[in-house]
Amino acid sequence: MFEKKNLGSGFSATTILIITAVLIFVSAQSYLEMRTPDPDVDRVVPANGFARKKLSDYFDGLKETPADTDVFIQQGEEPGGTVLILGGTHANEPASTLAAVLFLENTRINQGRMIVVPFANIMGRTHTYPQDGHPQIYHIKKEGSKSRIFRFGARVTNPVHQWPNPDIYIHPGSGQTMAGVERSNLNRAHPGRPDGCITEKLAYGFLKLIQKEKVDLAIDLHEASPEYPVVNAMVAHERAMELAAIVTMELETQNISIRLEPSPKQLHGLTHREWGDHTDALAVLLETANPAMGRLRGRTDEELILTGTDKAYRKAFDLGQLYIPYEDGTEPIAERVARHVAVVKELAFNLEMVREGKGIDLEGVPDYDKIVDLGVGAFLAD
Amino acid sequence: MEWFWPEGMYTIVMVGVFAIASFVFKQPIAVALTIAAVTGALISGNGVPIDHLVEGSFGYLDTILIIICAMIFMKTLQHVGAMEAVAAWVTRKYRHRPFLLTMSITVFVMFPGMITGSSTAAVITAGAIVAPILLKLSVPPVKTAAAIAMAAIYGMAAPPVNIPAMIIGGGIDMPYVGFGIPLLVCTVPLAIFTGMLLMYPDLKRIAKSGKSENGGLENELKKMAHVPLTPRLLLPIFVLLALLGGERAFPSVSPSFGMPLAFLIAAGSGLLTGKKWNPYLASKEAVRASLPVSGILVGVGMFIQIMTLTGVRGFFVVSAISLPAWALYLGIATSMPVFGAVSAYGSATVLGVPFLLALLGRSEIIVGSALSLIAGLGDLMPPTALAGLFAAQVVGVENYFKVLKACIIPALVTALWGITIILGAQFF
Repeated sequence: MFEKKNLGSGFSATTILIITAVLIFVSAQSYLEMRTPDPDVDRVVPANGFARKKLSDYFDGLKETPADTDVFIQQGEEPGGTVLILGGTHANEPASTLAAVLFLENTRINQGRMIVVPFANIMGRTHTYPQDGHPQIYHIKKEGSKSRIFRFGARVTNPVHQWPNPDIYIHPGSGQTMAGVERSNLNRAHPGRPDGCITEKLAYGFLKLIQKEKVDLAIDLHEASPEYPVVNAMVAHERAMELAAIVTMELETQNISIRLEPSPKQLHGLTHREWGDHTDALAVLLETANPAMGRLRGRTDEELILTGTDKAYRKAFDLGQLYIPYEDGTEPIAERVARHVAVVKELAFNLEMVREGKGIDLEGVPDYDKIVDLGVGAFLAD
Repeated sequence: MEWFWPEGMYTIVMVGVFAIASFVFKQPIAVALTIAAVTGALISGNGVPIDHLVEGSFGYLDTILIIICAMIFMKTLQHVGAMEAVAAWVTRKYRHRPFLLTMSITVFVMFPGMITGSSTAAVITAGAIVAPILLKLSVPPVKTAAAIAMAAIYGMAAPPVNIPAMIIGGGIDMPYVGFGIPLLVCTVPLAIFTGMLLMYPDLKRIAKSGKSENGGLENELKKMAHVPLTPRLLLPIFVLLALLGGERAFPSVSPSFGMPLAFLIAAGSGLLTGKKWNPYLASKEAVRASLPVSGILVGVGMFIQIMTLTGVRGFFVVSAISLPAWALYLGIATSMPVFGAVSAYGSATVLGVPFLLALLGRSEIIVGSALSLIAGLGDLMPPTALAGLFAAQVVGVENYFKVLKACIIPALVTALWGITIILGAQFF
């Protein structure tokens, strides 16, 4: 099998090496674009009143690392509670980032404080995941020919920053075992540790942020596959369950149906468990349905990210495989962002009911119907 | 028709181009897969997306590293003489006890597959060593090749390393944890059955006739046992067991080297066995031996990325899960081995994941284990036949189809056993 006659010549080896070098050069240009994007990509325009800080202001260990990310804080005139909105834990869940950006660019806080982190794991925004076939960016259309551009990244930290992972990841603190790749997943690394891998350090940074800013309500925004049981759902820590139940009922009156799930006590590393256990904050996690990240999806492109229109999912819905209503075969980004925004607003408005003197009053953020009707782009700055 | 068009057409074109490149133009499987992937991208209007093609191939980077490093470990064992010494010792000890000899040879051939997750590794290391022994013991060449090929496939499916199971589990975010016992249940009964079918009758006949004392065999064993079997000679195996076993048994205290580094450290300990060998030569042989499998994984990665990009994957997956129950089981038992003509890994990726999704609600670990076993049969399917063809080569059988014929009964029993396990998974 490895006889000399089967081996190539020096000429063929050289030719193949040259072709390989060209392919590496061409593909590397494309990948590097995600690491040093155009200034217009992932640009945010904070509303008046937001002050920009860095996560490393709360945990020194993140300074000058690829994990350090922007933290925006707005203080209202009246004292009240503090809400944290975390977007972009997983960079392949765009409604999470867009909802956080929408709050960042529209909110005026009258009472209490709002902290917004639109890109929680920026190390997930610098690459796409092999065999997922995702585009690197997507456009949110605005009036006329204008649009805002965001990166569509991966669920996990770029291996350039953290590789290799062990075969089995043992969650620090709980000792829970997970697949090795989960070590790169921010939402399995909470509460983090100061001397851990870069993803664990990032998680630790958020723990310190919540503790130092005395956050009352911590909301982690996500998306999930339509075939995943926890979708269009709110997962709440037991201390946040009362607030979550109030909000679920409020949303029912607005015809926004949401599944309420208790945070499993044995499932560690996730925000709704660890923030609830290690801080005073009421911790909740929100999930909308994103066909572009599902296993059953058909053609994978920007259109799928934005419209959620997919005939493979439509057929899967007929087969009873989905956990969302999908009769019309679409799950547009506007609806997913609107859902996140509506739930966050209700959580903030009702905080006073479970924490006296910690009310939050905000304005400027559009309601569900407006976002669905006009699209997300209508509420993003130029 | 609305469901079929255009993704169904893309599927037919991609599979067709692969078949033509492979069968008609005799291109290596990796190259044929690449051509099919590029064609799929072109006809779906994606041009030649170099970034997607390269990115897809990176999906198996870790797997390729494991295979290459594991092969370096196996070559180290060969070069220090440990493999031959063990084979000679086993044969001498059990040549009058055909059942134990059959089982020992089966386990011996399975071992490299269990460690590397590659049937090819098992055939070209352990298979090449036991082939002359079996031939000297008068087992017919075709049966010898079939026995080696089947044992190598069971070794690939057996724990601790089962790459198809890792691939299938990865498809639904299921960690490769807790697979040990299900994989043993999947493989051990079949390994015993196949050994009894293909080797035992001849070994028993020879043991009864007393011909196992023949001079030819003794000379062969003497040649093989030129290095005495001592605990020191087996040092690399002990080191590997300590590194991999320690990580799994005491994960909180044992350092995690990762499989590739663990294999390299264990191979490095071969320098302490007291035998003279050339690590450079062993590594070079190992990399050469790993290249075909690694190349296929690179090709499969590109193929799958383009399937995802074009919607072929979703078409395939949803078509699979829409099959009625009886057709689903029939589909698993037939399409997975047949698709294995690309490679068992490709079969696990493209078909294993949707079939597992279609069977959600049963024990996913047990179903995933059984699917990985059935996917392993793909390594018998021409044109690649990664286990079968190499087994025929090490035994010297020119017509592979004779070997394939001898594998039919064990392969059918394997598929049936796999389906039985899937049916039983609903009770766990």
